[in-house]
Amino acid sequence: MRIGAAVVIVLGVIGYLAFTAQASNKSYFVTIPEMAGMGDKAYSANLRLDGFVKPDTIQQAGTHVNFVLTQFESHNPKATGDALNVKVVYDGTEPPPDTFKGDAQALAIGTYGRDGVFHATQLQAKCASKYAPAAPGAAPAGSAAPASDKRASAAPAPAPEQVNNTTTAGQ
Amino acid sequence: MKKLLVSVSVLVTVALMIWGYYQAMYAAPMEATMGDVQRIFYYHVPNAMLAFLFFAISFLASLVYLATRRSNAPVAQAADAWALAGAEVGVIFCTVVLTTGPLWGRPVWGIWWTWDARLTTTLVLWLIYVSYLLLRKFAAGPQMQTLAAVLAVFGALDVPIVYMANRWWRTQHPAPVFGGGDDSGIKDPHMLAAFGWNVLSWAVWGLLILVFRVYVERRQQKIENARAAAALAAE
Repeated sequence: MRIGAAVVIVLGVIGYLAFTAQASNKSYFVTIPEMAGMGDKAYSANLRLDGFVKPDTIQQAGTHVNFVLTQFESHNPKATGDALNVKVVYDGTEPPPDTFKGDAQALAIGTYGRDGVFHATQLQAKCASKYAPAAPGAAPAGSAAPASDKRASAAPAPAPEQVNNTTTAGQ
Repeated sequence: MKKLLVSVSVLVTVALMIWGYYQAMYAAPMEATMGDVQRIFYYHVPNAMLAFLFFAISFLASLVYLATRRSNAPVAQAADAWALAGAEVGVIFCTVVLTTGPLWGRPVWGIWWTWDARLTTTLVLWLIYVSYLLLRKFAAGPQMQTLAAVLAVFGALDVPIVYMANRWWRTQHPAPVFGGGDDSGIKDPHMLAAFGWNVLSWAVWGLLILVFRVYVERRQQKIENARAAAALAAE
């Protein structure tokens, strides 16, 4: 009897969570339009900003990366001039993962500055759960040069002036 | 006869697991965006599915225990053995999930761990069943069995939450591979085959361990009952 009552309570909590899922949906990250709609709050909060890396905007020098985060993937028909873009400056302790490249979905963690630039201290890539075989002869990110090579070239981080146009492996 | 049956099941299980490994590591083609690290999928997802299955076995057996503990002691004791074995094998599968996940996340996401809904609820699930096993280790008798059964029932309530977490909330963890929308799914038949073989081989492995474990636990119960009877007779 007591167990039955407890189960009802727990199931009630689960039901409540499911019911309010739509509202609490936005907790893990915010999208670019959501950040734009936050007004002044966008500047004070520590945010995890979600978007797609705009192709050919990555400028990387070791652990310093400049890129543009955009609302849609480039092959999405909505990716017009009206799509929202945010310039991201990343200064972290490690280079971004190999999967961080043009059109990849990524999360930038940091703060949005009043200069209109998002200052990130962490970068995370997101991955799709759609798997397709690699074309013969193509080199996907995971099979490229061993991690030790990448770390070695990334270790002595050059000054921002020396930013070059190298993108991540596999491009 | 029993020995022959055990040997054949062990051999079949080992053969299936070798075949599953070959399928995942060699037969399945390399994935286009992630490369070879995507092969973790052939272990991560089947193990997660089987963790759910074995926690469900523990859940059902715990319900049977709670329903019969006063009315039908022999059935209740058998159910208790199944509940314990199911939780143990489930914890093994859940541990594999929580190990392979970070190994995959590090190269692909750039992080080992994040506190999103999917990962957090899975860790909570693991902790609930580890505490279930600790409870069973540190206490004994019918009172412990009842408490353990209640804990297993509550633990099982986390299973649907884990399952729905990346459907209800925004997560770092990707959408479900099967039935997850446009950005999900596998079409390549070799990838599907590698996945299917690993679900099968790990399921057979888990069931084999489960049956062995129930057998051992039933023997243990007999020994304890005999000891209790002897202690009563000595008084």
